[in-house]
Parts: sequence; C-alpha cells; structure tokens
Amino acid sequence: MKRIARVLAAVLVLALLAACSNNAAAPAPAASTAPAAPAATKAPDTAAAPAADTPAAPAGAHADIGLDGVKFTDTRHITVEIFDRNNDGGTTPADNYYTDFIKQGVLETHNIEVEFIPVPRWTEGDDINNMLAAGTAPDICVTYSAPTIQLYAAMGGVHELTPYLDETKDVLPNLFEFLGDTGIYWSKDPDTGELYSVEGKRANVAKQTTFIRNDWLETLGLAVPNSEEEFYNALIAFRDNAATLLPNEPDKMIPLLMTYDVGWMAAPLINAYIPDALTDKELYTLGFDDRFLLYPGYKDAIRKLNQWYNEGLIWKDFALYGAGDTTNELLSKAGYVGAQMQNWDSLYRNGEDSVITNIRRATGNDKAGYVALNPFPNDSGKVRTFPYAPVGSDRKVFFPASNDEVYASLLYLDWISDATNRQYLQIGDEGVTHSVEPDGGIRTIAVTGEKIMNSLNNIDYTITCNGLSFEDPEVTMKSIALGYAGVEAELVIQAYELSQVNSRFNNAGTLGTIAAEEGKGTELSSKRDVFLDQAVVATPDKFDSVFDGGLNDYLASGGQAIIDERTQVWEKYFGSSINLDK
Amino acid sequence: MEKTTIKRFGLYMRQNWTLYVMLSLPITFFIVFRYIPMTYIQIAFKKFNLFKSVWEMEAAGNYGFEFFIKAFSNRDFFYALRNTLLLNLLDLVVGFPAPIILALLLNELAFKMFKRVTQTVVYMPHFLSWIIISGLALQLFAPTTGLVNIVLQKMGFEAVPFLNEPTHWVVTYIFLGVWQSVGWNTIIYLAAITGISPELYEAASVDGAGRLRRIWHITLPGIKPTIIVLLIMALGRILGSEFDRPYALGNNLVKGVSNVISTFVYTVGIRGSQFSLTTAVGLFQSVICVIFLAGANTIAEKNGERGIF
Repeated sequence: MKRIARVLAAVLVLALLAACSNNAAAPAPAASTAPAAPAATKAPDTAAAPAADTPAAPAGAHADIGLDGVKFTDTRHITVEIFDRNNDGGTTPADNYYTDFIKQGVLETHNIEVEFIPVPRWTEGDDINNMLAAGTAPDICVTYSAPTIQLYAAMGGVHELTPYLDETKDVLPNLFEFLGDTGIYWSKDPDTGELYSVEGKRANVAKQTTFIRNDWLETLGLAVPNSEEEFYNALIAFRDNAATLLPNEPDKMIPLLMTYDVGWMAAPLINAYIPDALTDKELYTLGFDDRFLLYPGYKDAIRKLNQWYNEGLIWKDFALYGAGDTTNELLSKAGYVGAQMQNWDSLYRNGEDSVITNIRRATGNDKAGYVALNPFPNDSGKVRTFPYAPVGSDRKVFFPASNDEVYASLLYLDWISDATNRQYLQIGDEGVTHSVEPDGGIRTIAVTGEKIMNSLNNIDYTITCNGLSFEDPEVTMKSIALGYAGVEAELVIQAYELSQVNSRFNNAGTLGTIAAEEGKGTELSSKRDVFLDQAVVATPDKFDSVFDGGLNDYLASGGQAIIDERTQVWEKYFGSSINLDK
Repeated sequence: MEKTTIKRFGLYMRQNWTLYVMLSLPITFFIVFRYIPMTYIQIAFKKFNLFKSVWEMEAAGNYGFEFFIKAFSNRDFFYALRNTLLLNLLDLVVGFPAPIILALLLNELAFKMFKRVTQTVVYMPHFLSWIIISGLALQLFAPTTGLVNIVLQKMGFEAVPFLNEPTHWVVTYIFLGVWQSVGWNTIIYLAAITGISPELYEAASVDGAGRLRRIWHITLPGIKPTIIVLLIMALGRILGSEFDRPYALGNNLVKGVSNVISTFVYTVGIRGSQFSLTTAVGLFQSVICVIFLAGANTIAEKNGERGIF
C-alpha cells in the first residue's frame, strides 16, 4: 500500500515538474510582454544584389532603404494577415494557388518574401488583439474597424505612416493610382497630420434593396408596387390571402420579414422618410451610426413599421432571434415571406442553395422568387439611398509597431493594388474560374480543387479592393450580373442598381479622432437595436414613449456627446457652411 | 522537549510525506491559475494598454478610481445591478427550496427503481448548456412558432408572451433555471438524508409519528447543516452573475430586465475594448460577494450553526 502511495507521489511530482517546465517554455501571458520581438525576422542577406551595377534611373533615390529601383537589393521578409473562412472544400488560406501567385510575383518584382498568417475570419478582432499584445501580429494587418486601429494607435502600437509614404511615394504608383490621395489619407488627423491606416476601396457599394415575391403578386393579380401605399396594400393582400398563397400552412404567412436589426431590414423604407434636403454637415455630424438612426424623419418611418406590425403584416417573432441567427433566411427559403428589405444580393447568393433557387424548387415554378423594387420615394418624390461609401467603409490596412519592414510592406500594398495583379486575383484563369462573354462580361465558373477561391473574387487577398473592379465600369456591371449561378442577369442588375439610386454618403472624411466615440460603438448600436425593436412591437399608444425614451437614453449614453463633438469639428474646418462644394 | 517535538515532526513527515506531495498539485493549481492572475486586478486602477505589462501601465485618474466613477455614473450599470439582484433573489427564493422539496419527495418513494429513474431524469438537464436550453425555449415558447403557444392557441387560448414580455420572461427565466438545476442540487441533499440514522425513524414510528411528522422532526433537522452551508454559498453568489443564462435567454424586447452585470461587462467593456472599466466592475462585484458571504457566515455562526470558514 505504502509502496503504491510512494509511486503515485513520485509520478505526481514528475508530472508537476513537467507541467512547470512546459509553462516556462510557453509564451508568457499576453498582457505582460512588450512588443519587443518583431514578428518577422529578417532573412539573412544572402541574396547578392544583382542589380547593383544596373544603374536604373531612380535607383539612387532610395538606396538608403536598400531599394534599387523598386527592388530590394537583399531579400526582405514580411508577414501578411489573411482571413481564414474555413469554408467547405476550400484550400488552405495561407498556402494555395493564389498565394503562390502573390509570393512569386512579389518576390520577382520587389525581392520580398511573403508569408501569410491565417486569422479566423469570425474572431478576427480577438485574435489580432492577442497577437498584437504578444508582439506576433503580422506585419500587414487588416480590419474593418477604424476604432480598433485608433485604440491601438493611442496605445503606441501602430506605425505612423506619413513619413514613410512621403519618402517612397514615387515607388508606389499603383497604390496611389488605385486608392488615390483620398483613400490613402482618408483617416489622417487634420490637426496632427498623423496617419495610422490606409483605406481599402469598396468597389461595390451596394447595400439594401426591397424585394417582393413576384409569383405571389401574379397569383393575386397585383402589379409590382410603385408607392408605399401600393406596397402596403400588397402586404395586406398577402396577409388576407394566406390560404391561397400557402395552402398547406397558411398560419406560416409572413407578409414582411424583419430581424432584430430593424435599421438594416427597413432601410429602403426609412430612407424615404429622411428629408431630401439632408445636408453634408448632417451626413457628417449625425451619420456616425451605421444605421443612420439620427437622421431626421427616422421616427416616422419606425412609426409606420409599428403600424404594420400591429396590423399583423410583420413577422411576429423577429425580435427573439439575435445576431448571426439564420431563422429569417430559413423562413425565406421555405417560401413563407412575401416581401423583405435585404442585402442587395442575399436572396441570389450561394447558387443551388440560394433563397430564390429554393423557392423555385419548392414551387416548381422557375419564374418564382423575388424581384427588386423601390417603391419608397422621399419628400421630393425621389428615391434616395445611403449605400456604403466608396471610401471609408471598407477594410483598413495598418502596420503594427512590431513591423520592422515598413517600406517592404508598402511595396506589397503597391503590388496588390496593381490593376493586372488585382484582376487576376479577382477572376483567376480564363476557362477555369471564368469565361469571357461576347460582350466582354466575365462569367464566374464555380470550381473545386486547388483553384477554388476561398472568398468571393478573392477579396481576402486584394486587401485594398473589395468587389469586382475592372477598368471599364460596364464590364464590371456585366460581370457582377453574371456572378450568380442560376439567377437571371436582369434580376441581379435590377437589385444592384436599385440599391444605389441617387446615393448619398459622407464625403468629408473622418476629420480626425472623435474622443467621445472611444469605446462607445457597440454599446450605442446595441442600444439602438434594442429600442427600435421595442418601438416596432409596442402598442400604438405606447409607441411615442418607447421611441422617445429609447432615443433619449441613446443620446444621454454618449450619442449627444458625439454629435456635439462632431459639430464642433465640422465648424472648425468648414465654418458655417452646411454643404461641401461639389 | 524541543528535541522530541522535532523528532516527532520528523517521524510524522516520514510517514505522511506522500500526502503533502499530493497536496502540492492543487496548491500549485491555485497559485498559478487563481493567485497569480489576481495581480491583474490592478488593471481596474490603471489605464489599460495592450502593449505594456500590467506593472508599467499608467495610473488612472482620480487617484486610480477613474473607472469606478465611470461605472457608477453609468445608468446602465445600475440597471444591470438591479436586474442582477432581482433575478438572483428570485432564483434564491424559488430555486433554493426546490431541490430540498424534491429530495424529501424522492426520499419518501417506496419503489426504489422508480426513485432511481426519476432521479436520473431530473438531473439530466444539468448537462445541457444554456445555449441549447435557449434553443429549446425558443422552440417551445416563441409566440407564433413555439409548440406550447401553438397548442394553447389550438385550444382557444391567447398566446402567452413567455419570452417577449418582461414579466413573463422573468418567470420563464426562473422556471428554466429551476428545471435545469433542481435535480443536480438534489443529489447533495439525498446524500445528507442517507446519513441520518434509521433508528430515529424507527423510534418515531413506534411513537406514532406519521410521514409528515417524521419529515418535519427528523429529516429536515438532519439535513439542516447542509442546507445552511448551501444557503451561505448561495448568498455569496447573490451579486455574481452567470453570463450564458441571461445572455442566451435574453432578447432585445426584454433587455430592460435581462441585462445583468455580466452581460453589461460583455457589451460595454469587452466588446467596447474598455478593459479597465470591465475589471473595475468585476472587482466591485467580487468585493460585494465576499461581504455577503462573510455576513451570511457570521449570522449562521451566531445562531449556533457551523459556518464554512
């Protein structure tokens, strides 16, 4: 017995010692390490400089940073963040056909070795946080969140880019041509001149469009609605004819779909209530909320939804399902939904599993599905949209302080912004991932295997460009329309165009850091969602108190402070003018 | 004298050193995973910086109390505090006696097989995560698609807003909590009941005590120390809050009652990258919990019960 106990104890001690020594070898707790160790260790200077005796004209210009022309005399090494979407049948995001293309191209052009660091797409923020804290973040980091970069920059963890850009502008022609000064200097602080990130371009700015079931309209002998009243009448007709439209399960009828994200799922309707005379100043001072909650007229739009909800026209359970829940999509696929205001292509996406294909299969009618419409004109009789801004709404590229290859990183951005490289990554090889139509449009071909694109048009690799973008916008349009397998091009084009008619967006830039916004983003947007949901489902007599109460709470919790600071900033730079010169 | 003490100690150690070696494992665990991380509490008094060690971070304003002031001047913090207290008190009032009653019931069952099966069935939900339970709740209680409401409507009743109206939601929340944990918590009471000498019951029967009399005079007093200890521990959690239960069950329509301290910390602190604020709130919560725990313990000891310290 005693012997067993001794053996046991000895094993324990050993296990303990082993555990301790493992601990010592493992990386120290995140927060306690300073970013002393750079992520990328410079490759040894083995590559002799073959270009040393070729006197290229601008060669001498940047000899101090090791450049001969646009090529480093000794091989540099950089790491680049790449989203890992972990898709079924996808390739390894850090090592595949397209990364080989990039690696080879960048090495040949600039003598830079590229290594991709995969970061899970859906936990990207947390992962980058940890890597930054540990000093192991990639040299080139990408995020959609400007406040995140602001936060890191304020802690001293991000390179200030102005001096580097000033010095090497002449060797970055593609970057400057593609993004323009607007994109590159978008987030520059007008006072201090500090710049911590470069704005990617959103080539496709489309946001939401209104959709309605065309086969239901046909069954009921209704025309596609052309005004809010006609739209409303169509919803009523759906509700009252549930037994005809859904003979097997009439109680499943949902005339208008809604989700917890009311500001998104009702945007086209809301846009109609925003006065046409909205000024550029208001776009800047009130437009910080990504659902534009503070624009005048918002309350009337929500009141309309409240009326529709109480008349049984809106999905009753919408507020019970939170972010990321796919119940609303399943309801559309099951064919219960009459109308919805959605992301412009979300009903057409995913080929065989798209909403529209599902409906066609279920109804046996290959003309069934959703058509795009926009029956909501505003006070001046115009349909207005507030799509993504081409600049300022896409990914931002930044270099963490642990990056000791800033010049090489900038050259990488230049290479990836080059029109030829960018387009190759977006459409791949002809005959394999795309075919060219007689009219010049590019038709996407679905592939499996090594040439599959892990993200639509490889947007994860073209970090300065989101969405198809060819020199000729018409080709781009045609190609977008051919990008949805099994969906008629006209449907796609209609949805795309309606999502951005008479578009408006903030053109003033960020105008520096707004201190009042620090750490407030998620708090305020979740407050907004909460009170909009509650306002939509309130009884009509409670509507005013719920909406006003919610809005006051939103303003008191930081919203008003942001408006005030933004107003001050606007007045500082533009004085009393309320519109920018066109 | 001295010498014999040392000698005795040596003898003692020679005989029992294995026990101390085995003790070293849990002690190491507590030092590494419980005590060392406590040094990070100072983040509550400092301006959090991702790129500096916790010792190098700059002190926060107002003598280090900047983030406590910030939390206490946030109205949502007080709503969260109120909701935490409300939900936990209701949980205590409804959820604490439930396993005791169930244990008494199970103990009185004559048919042993049935008792065992019942016991297993009631403690099964303990192994379900709140994410799964909230999914079940939606399937059962949603206003139009929930099974319970469909049945109610077919029977001619109005749908009950179990999940989408604050008062009903609180009831659902408490009920689901009891459903999930009652069986598991019963185990400890059943174990305590087993420890009661059967002779006491026999003597009581001889004296003519009925079933209820025996429960009242023998079983309950027999498990009283267990009840007290568990009550003290429950009081220690009065301000602590689970995260997954309110977060998974809550929705935008009931945010007014479902937003508790842990969910407040998540939305405002963690997702808003305000780590100092988060730590400050967490520290406040812990301090209050310790006060409650110590208070309940003192009261119990004053009343002649065994405490937990």
